[in-house]
Amino acid sequence: MSQAFQRSTRRAFLQRSSLMSMAGAAAPWALNLATLGEAAAAGAPTDYKALVCLFMYGGNDHGNTLIPFDNSNYAAYQRIRGAVAIPQANLAATALTPTVALPDARQMALAPTMGGLKTLFDAGRMGVLLNVGTLIQPTTLAQYKAKSVPLPPKLFSHNDQQSVWQSSLPEGATSGWGGRIGDLLLSSNSQSTFTCINVSSNAVYMSGQNAVQYQVGSGGPVAVRGFGAPIYGSAACSTALRTLMTTTRPHLMQAEHVRIAARAIDAQAALGSALTTVPAPATVFDSSNPLATQLALVAHMIAARSPLGAKRQVFFVSMGGFDLHDFMPSKHPGLLSQVSDALKSFYDATVEMGVANQVTAFTASDFGRTLANNGDGSDHGWGSHHFVVGGAVQGGRFWGTLPQTAVNGTEDVGQGRLLPTTSVDQMAATLATWMGVSATDLPLVVPGIGNFSQRNLGWLA
Amino acid sequence: MEVSSEPVEQPLSETAQSPGLVTALAAAASLAACGGGGGADSPAPVPPPTVLPTAVEASRFLGQAAFAATDDHLARVQAVGYAAWIDEQLAQPRTTGHYDTMIAAGLAVASNEYTFTGTDNTLWRKLISSPDVLRQRVTLALSEIFVVSMLGLPLSWRGFSAAAYMDVLEANAFGNYRDLLQAVTLSPAMGTYLNLRGNQKGDASGRQPDENYAREVLQLFSIGLVELNPDGTLRGGVATDTYTQDTITNLARVFTGWEFDGFNHTEPSYTIKPMVFLASRFDTGSKQFLGTTIASTVDGVTAMKLALDTIAAHPNVGPFIGRQLIQRLVCSQPSAAYVGRVSAVWANNGSGVRGDLKAVIKAILLDSEARRAPTSADTTRGKLREPVQRLVQWARTFKLSSPTGLWNIPDTSDPSTRLGQSPLRAPSVFNFFRPGYVPPNSPLGTLGVQAPEFQITNESTVVAWANFMQSTVFSGLGETRPDYSAELPLAADAAALVARINLLLAHGALGADTVATITQAINSMSASNDNAKLNRVRAAVFLVLCAPEYLVQV
Repeated sequence: MSQAFQRSTRRAFLQRSSLMSMAGAAAPWALNLATLGEAAAAGAPTDYKALVCLFMYGGNDHGNTLIPFDNSNYAAYQRIRGAVAIPQANLAATALTPTVALPDARQMALAPTMGGLKTLFDAGRMGVLLNVGTLIQPTTLAQYKAKSVPLPPKLFSHNDQQSVWQSSLPEGATSGWGGRIGDLLLSSNSQSTFTCINVSSNAVYMSGQNAVQYQVGSGGPVAVRGFGAPIYGSAACSTALRTLMTTTRPHLMQAEHVRIAARAIDAQAALGSALTTVPAPATVFDSSNPLATQLALVAHMIAARSPLGAKRQVFFVSMGGFDLHDFMPSKHPGLLSQVSDALKSFYDATVEMGVANQVTAFTASDFGRTLANNGDGSDHGWGSHHFVVGGAVQGGRFWGTLPQTAVNGTEDVGQGRLLPTTSVDQMAATLATWMGVSATDLPLVVPGIGNFSQRNLGWLA
Repeated sequence: MEVSSEPVEQPLSETAQSPGLVTALAAAASLAACGGGGGADSPAPVPPPTVLPTAVEASRFLGQAAFAATDDHLARVQAVGYAAWIDEQLAQPRTTGHYDTMIAAGLAVASNEYTFTGTDNTLWRKLISSPDVLRQRVTLALSEIFVVSMLGLPLSWRGFSAAAYMDVLEANAFGNYRDLLQAVTLSPAMGTYLNLRGNQKGDASGRQPDENYAREVLQLFSIGLVELNPDGTLRGGVATDTYTQDTITNLARVFTGWEFDGFNHTEPSYTIKPMVFLASRFDTGSKQFLGTTIASTVDGVTAMKLALDTIAAHPNVGPFIGRQLIQRLVCSQPSAAYVGRVSAVWANNGSGVRGDLKAVIKAILLDSEARRAPTSADTTRGKLREPVQRLVQWARTFKLSSPTGLWNIPDTSDPSTRLGQSPLRAPSVFNFFRPGYVPPNSPLGTLGVQAPEFQITNESTVVAWANFMQSTVFSGLGETRPDYSAELPLAADAAALVARINLLLAHGALGADTVATITQAINSMSASNDNAKLNRVRAAVFLVLCAPEYLVQV
């Protein structure tokens, strides 16, 4: 399935894009498809939209992120979680009052350190996506146990489930759905390099067939020092350095290094200039919170969208440390606080810039975790709860199906590992559709979407 | 998910863990292999050389086996040949360990109980200055397979525990894999990093044993996710899982009952002691995994031994770990035949011993695919040198010294200003990069060529490398200082200077245009006094370090 998809996607791109032939055979590997973008600019959208993926590496413990608050479910939670349970009294301030009540009078609370997201939920700007995970097709517990339907490969394995989440394929995939959205929207932007921007470490999510993930540190793009001033007193060495770094070679690894360096040099010039021209939003981002510093740069780049010629962008930020087999009570609250605070600041910045309705941020992670505890933490799971934030979000409520608070419950595949009731593919399709991907192009972004009848989950206006 | 048996233009999917090549990749492998054309009918390893290596050949060998082609090693390899040089290195005694160095430096004081003060220093010290260079090179490689990271060591005397862990890897680098596996498993650092320490049996409340070590020891330190042939290709041509969640659940129960030995807050010696067994925490039920059954009557120490015996005996270990060692030392995409030859030595060192790392290392470095001279047709051969390797290579080549003995070289992890990599500081147990990483959106990606180091190569790091090395080449890092005295006599002769740096750093691989570019720039610089000459040397070194033909070790 996967390879056939890759072939068909590639073919579709080559066929549907008459621009390719114009740009020449080298186009897919070109440093900057500016020509392509400008040629297509006539049909480009006039508005701006951006998608921001916040990836929590290690597998976020959803059980201590969204916690049962009504008495009977809290009791079940406390019994199953043992030493890692959060005291019920600590949850009162972050208990959620949704606009659409949960069934059976159930109540849920955010982790006590997620006050920022609670504020956004109350304002209707944050929605909770329940029990989302990787699926090949809708799957019942009976089907799972009978192994009667195909399941995602390498369940419970970090690197593979990160990859399946991001790309629909296990590790080794070369494109992700963020990058594939970028492929379809590249022509909206006058500088294609700035379509898929990763302010974090390498993620397959951001690579498309043509869209290249541009990686930049949260401090912004870095200039080659030796270009700006003589090297050891020699201007000739500066010239030589530029030649060495940017002259391609027959060896493909050498050529790839040169390609990255040349792109870095070009992009730094353009982005550095744009970020100097346009000031960052005044909204305060906590400089001690690595996610906040990443999102601060994303906000600044959104502010600079005009000089960058950007109409459709996909951003990626991330944080590690979520693989809490141990130390969960001491470490997890701080991580969630950083997620919540960073998203709140980011949303506030989009309001300040007047683009709140045009920017949607969402969380993702390798997998959820076991509801059962192992003494001081939890183990690798599957389905998990996630958040979607933005002015276009139909927030203040829960979307999807709230699982039982139980081990051996109706969604449990073992030790409280959740069988997902909403697929990542459906979540991706909803986000892609909002970004402007047409229904017919949706399979190019989400190859498995044909297995799901509901392709727009309705939480984006 | 099916794997097609026919070549496809974009092989990917099931490369997944990439312990070996997917069937679909096999076609691409022949052109991508280190040996270029080294497919299934590759020749057997070359017989002992009747002709001694040239300077270029010796330099290229040292780029793989050592960190650097220093004058003394170049001369030695040329004098005695590859195999004898390896034997001499295998016989080299170990030098003072990391833990002992930190103790001797007086770092075991209360203020360091929760810091890594001095750990980076000693790690760099040995990588750069310890004479047993092959052992150091292999130890670094092992630290990227059996990953422990200072980013995940929340324990007392954490800096000492990291140092002690590197000592464990070093002590076992020329030993047997089975011993290495046990030493790693019971080390306090790994016990903390992957939570074996303190793991206990389930209880009536529903608490379950921690699965972390059980899962990662299989996925990363031994057998990988899919069944392999000895040559690293998929067994039966399809991806068959090596284990299930049930395997992990059972193995997690074996891995219960282990605790630090002699933990205390006053001094760090517990960090060098293997963890000990506490029967009260052990899950005594019977366990079944990987075809082995451990009866409920078996005690925990014996159960651990049986589990590690079972894992080490699995047929995947040779191709899975052997291939990664090839990737760390020689090339990113070894042919299946090369992996197969190394795997055969893993299975039997010639004396009936399995997992003899000395024999495996020798087989990797002496293999025809590693030794064959590169040609212009080899467009996917070799590997991108990883940043830590580059820094150590520069430092060893130019005899970096620490006048204070402190080796004040910092954490070099920052990707925008330093190396984007630092010893024992991987972001997770999945290392800095994955063995199966294929750079997307590139000709490499189209061919399905694995190039792991490109996973940490991006628009920030390529610029940071140039900026970081511009100042480092000039004056060293911290209080350390390079020694360019051997190059200074050549400084007035730009061509001779560049030729020497080309030989030492790039093994003579710089193209004629690159040599011309650098020589021309050096020629434009003054050579009128010693400082000017020194700047010429620095410039030649720096520019070579930024040349693509240097960055890729072919």
